[in-house]
Amino acid sequence: MLEVEEYKHQAETCVRCSYCKFIDLNWITSSRFVRQCPIDTRYRFNLYSAHGLLHSALAELEGTLEFTPKLMDALWKCTLCGGCDIRCKRNLDVEVLQVIETLRRRCVEQGKGPMPEHKVLADNIRNSHNKYGAPAGERLGWMRKEIKPVQKADLVYFVGCASSYQQPELALATAELLKKAGTEFMVLDDEWCCGHELFATGQLELAREVADHNIKAIENLGAQTVITSDAECYKTLKVDYPKILEKSTEDMPYTILHITEYIDQLMKDGKFEFKKSVPMKVTYHDPCNLARLSEPWFHWEPHYEPPNIAVGKVWRRGDKGIYDPPRDILKGIPGIELVEMERAKDNAWCCGAGGGVGLAFPDFALWTAGERIEEAETTGAEAIVSCCPQCKAILSRVTEAKKTGMKVYDITEVMLRAT
Amino acid sequence: MGIPGEAYQALQSIVGSDWVSDDPAVCEADHLCASGGYPKDAIRPACSIEPASGEEVQAIVKLANRYRLPYVATSTYYLGETSPRKENTILIDLKRMNKLEIDEDNLYAIVEPGVCFSALQAELFKMGLCTFVPGCGGHASVLANTLFTGDAPTGWRHGLGYRRILAAEWVLPDGEMLMLGSRSLSKDFFWGEGPGPDLRGLLRGISGRKSELGVITKLGVKVFPFISEKLEPEGRAFHTHLNLPTNRFKWYNVRFPAKENAINTILELGRCEICLVVMTVPPLFRTVARTRGAGCGGFWEGWAQLGEKINPKQLELRILLFGIGAEKRLAYEEKVLLEIVEENEGSAREAPARDETNFMAADAICACVVGGRFHSQLSYESIDQDVKFGDIVIEMTNKHKPPILEEYGTTNWLCPYDLGYITKAECLRMTDVEHVDELNLWSLDCQEAFLKQGAYTNFPDDEVFGAVWGNYHEKERRIKEAFDPNNVSHPK
Repeated sequence: MLEVEEYKHQAETCVRCSYCKFIDLNWITSSRFVRQCPIDTRYRFNLYSAHGLLHSALAELEGTLEFTPKLMDALWKCTLCGGCDIRCKRNLDVEVLQVIETLRRRCVEQGKGPMPEHKVLADNIRNSHNKYGAPAGERLGWMRKEIKPVQKADLVYFVGCASSYQQPELALATAELLKKAGTEFMVLDDEWCCGHELFATGQLELAREVADHNIKAIENLGAQTVITSDAECYKTLKVDYPKILEKSTEDMPYTILHITEYIDQLMKDGKFEFKKSVPMKVTYHDPCNLARLSEPWFHWEPHYEPPNIAVGKVWRRGDKGIYDPPRDILKGIPGIELVEMERAKDNAWCCGAGGGVGLAFPDFALWTAGERIEEAETTGAEAIVSCCPQCKAILSRVTEAKKTGMKVYDITEVMLRAT
Repeated sequence: MGIPGEAYQALQSIVGSDWVSDDPAVCEADHLCASGGYPKDAIRPACSIEPASGEEVQAIVKLANRYRLPYVATSTYYLGETSPRKENTILIDLKRMNKLEIDEDNLYAIVEPGVCFSALQAELFKMGLCTFVPGCGGHASVLANTLFTGDAPTGWRHGLGYRRILAAEWVLPDGEMLMLGSRSLSKDFFWGEGPGPDLRGLLRGISGRKSELGVITKLGVKVFPFISEKLEPEGRAFHTHLNLPTNRFKWYNVRFPAKENAINTILELGRCEICLVVMTVPPLFRTVARTRGAGCGGFWEGWAQLGEKINPKQLELRILLFGIGAEKRLAYEEKVLLEIVEENEGSAREAPARDETNFMAADAICACVVGGRFHSQLSYESIDQDVKFGDIVIEMTNKHKPPILEEYGTTNWLCPYDLGYITKAECLRMTDVEHVDELNLWSLDCQEAFLKQGAYTNFPDDEVFGAVWGNYHEKERRIKEAFDPNNVSHPK
């Protein structure tokens, strides 16, 4: 959360050019897939955009605007996908996403937010340490006896709530891949929800609690590296944990890797190969939390020199996210034909599930996902592949409801088929 | 106070309750347009409404007349003077109106206000056609920008957009729909002239572009032949550009020992009818381009480095050669260019064949990295007059720097159009949020100085400049009174 002076400074540096609503203009290849921002595309009022929210942030700070029904709607329907943030930073120095996150936090502090569904989520995490409210003791229920985590290894597999409880096939696929890669791994006996949605919904006290718990659990295991196949957990451990601790990613007592980073590196080192053919034409969906939002976090105490120079700040502009490893993996699988959507990589359209939107506004989340499936279908691909259980879940709901015939896979499933 | 309840209900019945809102947050977000020098008299609209068609716009405007409610129309909301300035204003946000049709045989497109340049350009590229894209960005509204001026660096060859407005559908200030050009006779938009008086001049007029004469809901715009080869995008985040096919395009940066040499070159290039882009590159843009991604701090380092070597007497041109029609055309243009450059003692060096400015304008607003606020003095004049205009601006800048960013005494950004027949001179001046008032003072000083010299500027204070330019403001006022008897179309 930004301190007040910095919050004000960032919000008022917005020029209101509306670039935040569009994908990178150089990458526009049709009039259909031009827009970046789901709330702008759907609702069109200028409030429903990054510049609208930044302007509202200033007005709220100045006391000329309250959290009205429409402001609540725009603010909490934002998926925090980060498209606006990196689009703005193409040309300017404005921390767009941090202003929106801080505005959410201010809303929570004033007792106006978050949404009721987010409070239920918080209760679930508080009571059961997972976002579903499922029994905590069943968190490792996905394991089969052939999966043998070891007692001591350099690497710990952070499974995440979605893979633990709702999509165990992804946890099994990840574990199996690690095994096939000859990698021993540990799991946390007492893994709690990473807290991704707590951070996203401004419930920072509980977010801090889960962060402290998980970091301590990782430290107690003595693991140097944490690996996950859940893009939300990845971003949370890499970015949100150091952020809330006022540290940098590099200062954390672990290195976090996504499974795609790990496997990709093994491939490039000649230590892993996909041998089976998977004949399929696929398109790849970049999860926001793995791609745009996953650059390392750099802690910075605001310090400016005139005019407007942020001394010592490292700007995260979205170019260093995990874009290539999943693609290189797919290209390395025999039989896979990879075709790109028009809005790919840093221009990727959000699946709609993020920022707590999937919980609180499922219809809007499904509409957003529907836009993505429509885009995927224009590529002629048989399947859409992603690296996030949340993306997979919501995209699958759309394809099943619309009976599109398009398959939705997590990359771990595709990788496993190829081994 | 707000608009009357029954009026609001009527608005809901026109567009549906989802598309009109008087929520204070919606209105606050629509309170101010883009750009740094926010108009001081801007206030919140009473409500914002998003129509989907010209018919809905008509109904809204008629309602506004019935209840005597002021209204203003926006799309990208870029233009400084369209922020509401009267109580109870209905802000008509035209972004939902984004239909686009292209007639590739007759080389025109029909656009609604919500169609942006990049979307149009992307569709045209598929057909081997192109449009101009203005420097404010490819995300600007085609309709609004074409009416405003429609200028872009490719205007060297394509000319100014507002001189080639084709047919239009125009909701007049009282809500009647007027068809201009060929549209008045049929559903065709291909031709701007039609029976009766040509009213397009009113659209381009200063009050027209400020939304004071109703709402244009559809416009025919010319498009141009291009090439079939694709301009491949490359890069990620802040490092993106289009790769220009090297068999069709070549960039040159040409430095001249004196301004006169550069200007003679421009005029000669025009006589020879070559090139697609010819313009100067101000130090501000040069520095921004070189420090891409390094942010404000990187900009200032680059600015200091540039300042050590810049010579304000010299002028550098950036020239894009274009082999339209045939590859050998490119070789011909290059030969002619280099001969002219040599005759004028210039020094030419080839630049990489890529672009992020002229075909999609993805780097728009980049100059605001300095601090987020800018103002601009624009002039559309002969090139000689523009150079004098530039000298005025330099003098005024010296009075207000710092905090206004200087330009190391160099002249303004010169963009000749119509093969040099007319030149845009733009003087962008930047500052940070705390010093916007100084920018406004600079602007007033410039205008006062222009007035004394009889120079033209694109953002005039009507009352001040009208007297110098044939009392145009009086004529506009009478036209406004005739067209808008209830004075509801963005009244002053």
